Amino acid sequence: MAIFHNLFYGFSVALQPEHIIVCFLGVLLGTLIGVLPGIGPLGAIAILLPATFRMSPVSAIIMLAGIYYGAMYGGSITSILVNIPGEAATVVTCLDGHEMAKQGRAGPALGIAAFGSFIAGTLGIVGLMIFAAPLAEFALKFGPPEYFGVIFLGMTLLMYLSRGSLLKGVMMAVFGLMISFVGLDPIEGSTRLTFNLLQLWDGIGIVPLAMGLFGIAEILINIEESAAPEVLKTKIKNIFPNLSDWMQSKWAILRGSVLGFFLGILPGGGAIISSFISYGLEKRISKEPEKFGKGAIEGVAGPESANNSATAGAFVPLFTLGIPSNAVMALLFGALTIHGMRPGPFLMTNHPDLFWGVVCSMYVGNVMLLILNVPLIPLWVQVLKIPYKVLFPLILLFCIIGAYSVRSSIFDVHLTIIFGIVGYLFRKFDYEAAPLVLAFVLGPLFESNLRQSLTLSKGSFSIFFTSPISAVSIILAIVLLVIGFMPYFTKAREKFEG
Amino acid sequence: MINRDQLSGFFWLAISIFVCIEASRFGIGDFHSQGPGFLPFLSGVMLSAFSIILVVTSTSKKKEKREIKNLWKGMSWGKVVLVLSLLLIYALLLPILGYLIATFGLIIFLFGIVGKTKIWIKIVAGIITVLATYMVFCVWLEVQLPKGILGF
Repeated sequence: MAIFHNLFYGFSVALQPEHIIVCFLGVLLGTLIGVLPGIGPLGAIAILLPATFRMSPVSAIIMLAGIYYGAMYGGSITSILVNIPGEAATVVTCLDGHEMAKQGRAGPALGIAAFGSFIAGTLGIVGLMIFAAPLAEFALKFGPPEYFGVIFLGMTLLMYLSRGSLLKGVMMAVFGLMISFVGLDPIEGSTRLTFNLLQLWDGIGIVPLAMGLFGIAEILINIEESAAPEVLKTKIKNIFPNLSDWMQSKWAILRGSVLGFFLGILPGGGAIISSFISYGLEKRISKEPEKFGKGAIEGVAGPESANNSATAGAFVPLFTLGIPSNAVMALLFGALTIHGMRPGPFLMTNHPDLFWGVVCSMYVGNVMLLILNVPLIPLWVQVLKIPYKVLFPLILLFCIIGAYSVRSSIFDVHLTIIFGIVGYLFRKFDYEAAPLVLAFVLGPLFESNLRQSLTLSKGSFSIFFTSPISAVSIILAIVLLVIGFMPYFTKAREKFEG
Repeated sequence: MINRDQLSGFFWLAISIFVCIEASRFGIGDFHSQGPGFLPFLSGVMLSAFSIILVVTSTSKKKEKREIKNLWKGMSWGKVVLVLSLLLIYALLLPILGYLIATFGLIIFLFGIVGKTKIWIKIVAGIITVLATYMVFCVWLEVQLPKGILGF
């Protein structure tokens, strides 16, 4: 009964005119960002974060959340029509979606992607409602050792599951922690790593860091590559899937929804991993695996459902434990903090309007997205034709001014450009920025919980193994790291012996 | 010939040594009573260990693919340098010229980087961009944009 009461309350918040408008703005921007290759939801949220400072916290999170799950819808359009993923979680959709488009079945591909996303998004929100309250209650038992253990495991999982080299992922996370230490020591109040710059006493802001690493760096990478994408010239018809399409896709949608939700909860999981695993699963259990890669509708339905359901799942650890599970959630964590909210087990009780308002706005947002994405597909196709030379100066300007607007500081502008150069070099040298951002956001929590734990135990690390939660988390993290690093040690030993 | 992973490994090693030295200056403390430099020092030690592993393990038979010069092979890296230079100049001139003039100049130059654009289109685009962003940031979001020595 309590859940229905909370739902009514949530809808009373979500259906306020101001919140409907920001929800619409968020999903519209999210779809646009998903459609346009070159900037993903991470960069977009970083760029638009300062725009939310004048809003209420509820409005801000509704809009930013709308951008996140809206981008999943929009990304599939570019994947299917241009064979270029609009954003990373729709990479897999290119494999079968574009093949369907080449066979004259762009309409059913786009349609099943939109409807599958809607069903999965709705199921994901139901899951969020069901799991959040018990998990928040469980998290009330957490002390500093438990929090440290879970944060350590979360960071390890993100590094373990990220694309590319584990070693580089770990180095990025450690560097992210280092950057988070810039500023005043939280216990003694003395300055560290500030290089006598007064502007660094408050530390490095999340906005210049994220805008530089994801906004400016992305632009630099894109303008370096000269080729312009070509939109497939095909008539888009029969957007509403027929009975045969539904029969083929129904189980893929259901499996994708469940898989995506639980993977979204896992730190390091999220929409990207969910879509890949869903595609792999559908291909493995299919009676006709040979048709995958040649226009199998399950190859679109499963991953598109998984990536949308994962966006709802990703909110579970953020709202209940106060631990972001991926880089986008890390930015939302930053947004909540900037708005004076403390994510964690007390968020639901102290700010029920925020939690239930955002959950219910996601229902509303999913309906809006279905309306935006199904009949308005021809409009989005036109958007794809906007020349990049028009878009990139605007994106750069938004990055610069957005960074300036946080503290009215030219120093932040310089920082953004520096992080833009850093982000660009990361891409060239195959380093992924997501572990850095997550570690940067979690750094203060990581440090405070570690130091409090060690102070409580008078310097003994056994405190982390007396609690089952922290013991399991830390042991699991160490096992994952050891397994992940085995190839490196083997290679080093071979070189040494050779 | 050093490859890209070795170069980045040495870079991270230098950063980690620097952080360790800085951290020791503001006090590391011990496990019971940690100083401000405790975690920065630990993170510096960890990063140095990982960077040494990277340097040692990154020698590979397929050296040509990992060479630094191949990073920018066939790429329009000149445009990247140009954009970064423009942004840095913009950041320096912003407090002097003010938002309106500095941004107008930035947009005109940025429009010329990717593809050819006629000068009148650049000017019109510059004016529209400046006015639209001024409305968004200054009027709607009430951001205090820099005014410059001319007072606007």
